[in-house]
Amino acid sequence: MQKLGSILLVSLFLLTGTLAKSQTIQFEKYTLPNGLKIILHEDHSAPVVAVTALYHVGSKNEDTARTGFAHFFEHLLFEGSDNIKRGEFDKYVTNAGGALNANTSQDRTFYYELLPSNQVDLGLWLESERMMHAKIEQIGVNTQREVVKEEKRQRMDNRPYGSFLTEMLKRAYKVHPYQWSPIGSMDHLNAAKLEEFIQFYKTYYVPNNCVLSIAGDINIPALKKKIEAYFGPIAKGSFPINRPTIKEPPLGGEVRDNIYDNIQLPAIFHAYRAPKQGGDEYYAFNVLSTILSGGASSRMNKTLVDTKQLAVAAQSVPFFNEDDGLFIALTIANMGVKVETLEASMDSVVNELKLGLVGEREFQKVKNQITTDLVNSKATMAGIAESLANNEVYFGDANLINTELVKYNKVTREDVLKVAKKYLNKDNRVVLHYLPKEKTTK
Amino acid sequence: MKKYIYSVLLCLPFFTMAQTLDRTKSPAPAKAPLIQVASPVKFTLANGLQVFVVKNTKLPKVTATLALDVDGFKEGDKAGLADMSGQLLKRGTATKSKAELDEAVEFLGGSLSTSSQSASVSSLKNNFTKLMELMAEVILHPALNVDELEKVRKQTISGIESSKDDADAISNNVMKKLVYGAYHAFGEITTTTTVKAIKVEDVKNFIKTYWIPNNAYLVFVGDIDPANAKVLAEKNFGTWAKGSFTQPIYDKPAIPATTYVAIVDRPASVQSVVSIATTVNLTKGSPNDIPSNVMNNILGGGFSGRLFANLREKHGFTYGAYSSIAPSKQIGMFSAESSVRNEKTDSSIQEILNELNIIRNTKVGDTELSRMKNYLAGGFARSLESPNTIANFALSIAVNHLPADYYQKYLTNLAAVDAQKVQEVATALLNPAKMHIIIVGNAKQIAAGLEKYGPVKYFDIEGNEVAAPTEVKADASLTPAALMEKAIAAVGSKEALDNVKDIQLKGTANLMGQSLEMQKTIVMPGNSVSTMSMGGMAVIRQAVVEGKYSVAQQGQQAPITDDLKETLDESSYLVPEQLYLAKGYGLKIVGAEKVDGKDAIDVEVTTPSKKVSHRFYDAKTFLLVKTSRSEEVPGRGTATQQQYYTGYKVVNGVQISSEMLMDMGQMKINIKYTDIKINQGLKTTDLK
Repeated sequence: MQKLGSILLVSLFLLTGTLAKSQTIQFEKYTLPNGLKIILHEDHSAPVVAVTALYHVGSKNEDTARTGFAHFFEHLLFEGSDNIKRGEFDKYVTNAGGALNANTSQDRTFYYELLPSNQVDLGLWLESERMMHAKIEQIGVNTQREVVKEEKRQRMDNRPYGSFLTEMLKRAYKVHPYQWSPIGSMDHLNAAKLEEFIQFYKTYYVPNNCVLSIAGDINIPALKKKIEAYFGPIAKGSFPINRPTIKEPPLGGEVRDNIYDNIQLPAIFHAYRAPKQGGDEYYAFNVLSTILSGGASSRMNKTLVDTKQLAVAAQSVPFFNEDDGLFIALTIANMGVKVETLEASMDSVVNELKLGLVGEREFQKVKNQITTDLVNSKATMAGIAESLANNEVYFGDANLINTELVKYNKVTREDVLKVAKKYLNKDNRVVLHYLPKEKTTK
Repeated sequence: MKKYIYSVLLCLPFFTMAQTLDRTKSPAPAKAPLIQVASPVKFTLANGLQVFVVKNTKLPKVTATLALDVDGFKEGDKAGLADMSGQLLKRGTATKSKAELDEAVEFLGGSLSTSSQSASVSSLKNNFTKLMELMAEVILHPALNVDELEKVRKQTISGIESSKDDADAISNNVMKKLVYGAYHAFGEITTTTTVKAIKVEDVKNFIKTYWIPNNAYLVFVGDIDPANAKVLAEKNFGTWAKGSFTQPIYDKPAIPATTYVAIVDRPASVQSVVSIATTVNLTKGSPNDIPSNVMNNILGGGFSGRLFANLREKHGFTYGAYSSIAPSKQIGMFSAESSVRNEKTDSSIQEILNELNIIRNTKVGDTELSRMKNYLAGGFARSLESPNTIANFALSIAVNHLPADYYQKYLTNLAAVDAQKVQEVATALLNPAKMHIIIVGNAKQIAAGLEKYGPVKYFDIEGNEVAAPTEVKADASLTPAALMEKAIAAVGSKEALDNVKDIQLKGTANLMGQSLEMQKTIVMPGNSVSTMSMGGMAVIRQAVVEGKYSVAQQGQQAPITDDLKETLDESSYLVPEQLYLAKGYGLKIVGAEKVDGKDAIDVEVTTPSKKVSHRFYDAKTFLLVKTSRSEEVPGRGTATQQQYYTGYKVVNGVQISSEMLMDMGQMKINIKYTDIKINQGLKTTDLK
């Protein structure tokens, strides 16, 4: 269970796009006097419930000398509370036949319990304990610091290409706190004193910085009473929350670097600076991304992987956030393929988007793919709860889950051409080549 | 205190309610929800295709899965045929290239996947009719063409090659071969040889033999009416011609007469992959099915199992320890597995066997039992969120011939499992006296003492028995100094060696498909430059010229330590053994082992800066055949680098190894010198 928690950003490769519409998701939304926002979605199709808590704190809220705090809390807050003994938090859930985990992004931290629906009270108790009086003690800090170091070793240092996000961010951003990744600095974590962790908890882990989103086999009127009982007594936060307003200036020229890693096959990462999430350009970019790498018939897969066999994998990732994001195209070279050859082909696939409108049939294809993805994203209660919470926190509009398809339908071929021309330019990108490291002791 | 005041002030409006809430205890669960497992609508087409429909309108999408009822494939010297055939199915049809097929599927916003014995499509319901037509095209009229087969073959072989380095993959292969037997369909191993033997005709025959409607199920799940599903099934698969197939019944694998130990020697291993396995007579739906699952979870299910608590939490031998039990219509399997530190291999086996004995000999406590049953019941309830679960249940009932209400009654049957029954199944299924103990690890370090568990045998990575790595005894009268002299003489006569003034070797290094240029130049005495470069750019350059040392990696100078100086000095010798004798290096003959199947003498070399490495000399020719050096990497344990020397060539009367393999575990570099010149009249000024 040491592996509780994960860094959301690292699972980049699995992101498919954004979340969903076409099937109306009914929900009830309200706010407790202490500022806690609550979103409830009732669905009796299976005897399950997802209890989730989204705290609006991510790595961008961190002090420049204390990076890694937000993610560290994702671990620390499984340590226990006044009423939950150290190491027992997850046992309550597994013993109830449930599952739990959490993840941290640059913008927020998300906790969830998936439970048989008769155990919904357990979820309320655990999350309210975590919010009310989590155990922030030296012993827990010490333990979790080691776990986080091990996580960094396993997921970043020891995994092929695992450092790419950290390497990419520090070159793509110069002033904005997006310049560091959520895992942060181990030195900062080592230097931090217990009081600093306590202060971070008191500042960010407060009801007025949280959305409690619950979806599944619930009875809303009964559940509301329970929620008031568990969460009502928690005090509103009284410390100011740091919400950075820094605007990152343009990149001002291509940035290029080689990274030597313990890998067998070289990889190329192109990160173009891109707009923030939620605007018209954002939806156009997601369509563009599907054109490039949505499925086997997408341009990158068809050209680079199958026809030319230059790459074993090719993917584009719209890496959008609350503030200006990145659009990442990446490939892993096939055996014996020169990086330069692969990069030239990659560029020509991307540049083609700037040369003219996407064909009508291809455009219809990606719209169809996106429509399917949006429907699939509503397949689980956990997915629905998270989507409602994200939309509420980022856009103040939980109902976006029901209207997002409209936004995609509005995107035209001209919009795609426009974002391609505006953003997919060499002077607007960071290029990383991952190359095999040589160790020699002859 | 402050917290308390806050809560009193703020919760006034809810005071009465808050009072009823006891925060100090976890809340009790509400009444267990009624779990309803829907039954599918079923019908059979004239050609024998059995169709199930599970209607679920939660989302406007439909999935159809076609599954064959086959228990493993007997492939013999073409092992891998079934998997490759499954992959080839979706790579084009009689009228569509792979690219056209992919586009057609994705234009519908759909997905299509195929495997050796199933195919599946999924899309929104408005596109589903067209997607079903594509699925039928793939199954009834696949292209199965040669070019696509070659692509699949290439991928399969690179997968096999990379798994040769993977101790877990080796363990799985050897385990299935030993437990099921080489002649059982479940015990076959796919190798590069078997994959190369597969021809396109074999694939065509495979599809023709196995992909027949009268041995298949078609399962629809989602927003579709049974009537509509019937129309689609008839229209797309009604013309599918019947075939004939009888499931072979494989001979039951023999259970070993007594527990034995199978070691796959992997000298590079710093961890042993330990598995204790046996076949089990266990079929799905039999009285032992659900109890055996409870028993297995108590023993080794995830983080809460006893193996985890013992081997990881209590003893710290490992990061994880688990067991699994799988029922099967023909023969099931149990295994307990853990990757443990080399020196804890013996203790780990002991602890796993202890746990097997405990679960057989003592009744599980009530708390542990009910906790585990809750866990399994909760997982079952949560699995019902996916409509595919219901489809899988229907399929499982059909292929395993289960009672129709098997899953409806699952929770009741689970609740009925008691401590007595858990002990009974453990005793019936797990016999520690007749198990396979399989270890992939460094035999030299771990083998001692394992005889107490039973006879110790050795196997290669494909599960073929081999001779034990023989205790090669070095000639006791041989002193290290004498051995060094022999090693020097093996390279060349004194005259020939004295005559060498300079040497230049040029060639290439192959690093997982990347090609690098290699060059090494020595100018006697004591000067050398070695470079490894890519496209003309030096990746690594190391040199010692007239007493000046330098090591540059990607143009960056590395700090010069005593250790590096020694390494560089050594590389300036044609025969470093001369250096060892001249500078009084510590030399000790520590044993012998097989290198590439030949006896080699192992000498431990300690440099003046106390760095230890090993050099292995062929016991007959005394040529250097291998070097090995281990280092502690902070946080990652020991990293071992081994270098093998082959392809000796005589140039100007001296023996020079022209081929080297550097093995660093995950990474391997093959070096081949194609151009070796001696005495070109080089000077130190030529060493740029």
